[in-house]
Amino acid sequence: MTTPHMVRAGTASYPEGLLDLEDPPDLYLIGDLAAAPGVAVVGTRRCTRYGIDLAERFGRVIAGAGWTVVSGLARGIDAAAHRGCLSVSGHAVGVLGSGVDVCYPAENRPIYDGILESGGAIVSEYSPGTPPDRWRFPARNRIIAAMSTAVVVVEAARTGGALITARLGAEIGRPVFVVPGDVDRPASEGCNLLIRDGANPVLGANDLIEGLGLIIGPPQQAASASTVDLPQSGLTVDELTTHWSLSLPETLARVGRLEIEGLVRMSGDRVIPG
Amino acid sequence: MNSATMSVALVGGDVKPVQVEVHVGRPQESFKLTGLPDTAVREAKDRVRAALASSGAKFPNRTVTVNLSPAALPKGGTEYDLPIALGVLAASREIPSPRDVIVVGELALDGRVRSSTSGMAAGVLSARLDLPCLVPESSASQAASVPGARVYSIKTLAEAAEQLRMGLDGEMVKPRSVPPSLDTTADLADVRGQPMARRATEIAATGRHHLLFHGPPGGGKTMLARRLAGLLPPLSESEAVEVGLIHAAAGLTRGIRWDRPFRSPHHTASRAALVGGGSGVPVPGEVSLANHGLLFLDELAEFPRSHLDTLRQPMEDGAVTIARRGMSVEFPSSFHLVAATNPCPCGFTGDDRKPCQCRPAMVSRYRQRVSGPLLDRIDLVVKVGRVESVEMRSDAETSAIVRKRVAVAVDFRSNRPDLISEVASRLILRALDSGVITARGVERTKRVARTIADLALAEEVSEDHVAEAMVLRGDW
Repeated sequence: MTTPHMVRAGTASYPEGLLDLEDPPDLYLIGDLAAAPGVAVVGTRRCTRYGIDLAERFGRVIAGAGWTVVSGLARGIDAAAHRGCLSVSGHAVGVLGSGVDVCYPAENRPIYDGILESGGAIVSEYSPGTPPDRWRFPARNRIIAAMSTAVVVVEAARTGGALITARLGAEIGRPVFVVPGDVDRPASEGCNLLIRDGANPVLGANDLIEGLGLIIGPPQQAASASTVDLPQSGLTVDELTTHWSLSLPETLARVGRLEIEGLVRMSGDRVIPG
Repeated sequence: MNSATMSVALVGGDVKPVQVEVHVGRPQESFKLTGLPDTAVREAKDRVRAALASSGAKFPNRTVTVNLSPAALPKGGTEYDLPIALGVLAASREIPSPRDVIVVGELALDGRVRSSTSGMAAGVLSARLDLPCLVPESSASQAASVPGARVYSIKTLAEAAEQLRMGLDGEMVKPRSVPPSLDTTADLADVRGQPMARRATEIAATGRHHLLFHGPPGGGKTMLARRLAGLLPPLSESEAVEVGLIHAAAGLTRGIRWDRPFRSPHHTASRAALVGGGSGVPVPGEVSLANHGLLFLDELAEFPRSHLDTLRQPMEDGAVTIARRGMSVEFPSSFHLVAATNPCPCGFTGDDRKPCQCRPAMVSRYRQRVSGPLLDRIDLVVKVGRVESVEMRSDAETSAIVRKRVAVAVDFRSNRPDLISEVASRLILRALDSGVITARGVERTKRVARTIADLALAEEVSEDHVAEAMVLRGDW
């Protein structure tokens, strides 16, 4: 799994999305490209704590929905998105601007290894051993965009790779989702520009999954008691123990799970469906 | 001619030895008192003079200087009367100098010895220094209840002088073993219905989680809170001593008892009454009196916001520092907070049947009082609804049964690994992502889930434990 191999453009195992590019490049690959639809999560390297938290969360929920997280393994937002994805053992693809066997920046080695360990892939259009030269990075952004079904920008400066990824994505018809930010914060300037130009603002993790679901199809539901046996007017927790004939701790645990899945909500001690 | 007598001072929940030094000098009538005495101590001069006269002893017609050492320690109260009087007698060579005896007691003008709040403090110091102590009869049993104390009970100044003259040949007060007293007046079985609130009470008792009950009047919030005390394991010996001393410092006589203190200050209590203070010698407040026990704040939203904010630091640090010019005193304050509140001024917001009478602005103002930093430290928030008459059945568990479960879980807790299953951690992250809990709520949920696992005697926190913990952290 750790030896790179090449996938030629147009062959059966070649990622279909890349054919949308004018110049689909041959790819070097370590690991497995899953059949699952990919979502690119990108952003600036000079990000804020807020951006990191959000990117991690997005990585988690996208992976949780059964989709692949595609990013550039760069510092900041990219790394955070990958981390979030790996924290729930999700499938991730890292697209490098160097050879696939060159981990840059070196501090992201645990993420690089984590992606491969949890069955993801590292890809690059450059031959193994190619050093990480800055001028190559914008080019790899078109691969990130093309390999994904949608592009999510968490934080982006007025100039930078993330903005390029979003614009390239939009050019080849990928929907762009953008987290709005403070108007005077440099790390959000690019995001706000994208929104002005018509990108979809993202208002939270649930909002993102909902928006992506409209494009990709419904997210994978975790196996659970998704059918709630509950009267519409709701019951108190105490009444539910009788209704479900469970012990109180069992009832509470079940209510807690349903609440996380968004199938019920609590109003005081009353459990209400929806 | 000098003499020195040992006495005791209460300093921030602990005892410190005090030397009462007396010097009788050249023939000239004068009586001076030095060493940071407060008014009550300064008045000792007159009481000592009268008591000595009433006891048939002569007050020396000479300069008498009394020094309470260490001088930097502020001393209050009336317990130094007896050591001063005995010191005067010793310095005038009437009795041997009681250097190695701890003496406390207030003097009546006729020479009788009155009870003193320092009875217990003397017992503690006696056990610690392995010295005998002379204690007024009425507080002797309290002093003797301290394990290891050697207590001699006395009724009058003359008797005390006689005891010292004979080298303490009187009978020592028998050590009193305190039976484990359990509060049987308030039993959990009295609470009808409310299984969810009971469950929260049990979890709170096991993990010492701060707890908030909210709901309309008549649901049993106050009843439940009071019954939590009866579920807690008894105090250890050192805890019982600490609790007894703090009560003594506040002028309360509790002595050695094994049940946990239960303090319920009214919402009109002053800030000093809550966290401690007072002019002169610092006095512990309710947060310290509730140390190792329960602090119950009924009608939490009626407490002024500023008072609730002052609770934060003692909750966090487990101690209150009261700073005074020249000194600061620290009282322990690791209390277990239980609070109850109505959801709005009239109490019926969110009730199933009864409409709320309050204007919306009033309701939100009321609720905001209980918010922010204080609420962040409360792990369990449970609504206690009104009990419908059908639920009024009394097959409820008694405190004794629950107490046993709590004791087993507390014991289990003391040496088990702290594990959490991967699916459980993932569930917490999912809850965070879907907005069911906040980032701050993560730690709280983990803590409560850990306790729930302890009650199930599970080493590893499971998904079910986490899910249950989330429900018991309802909205306020």
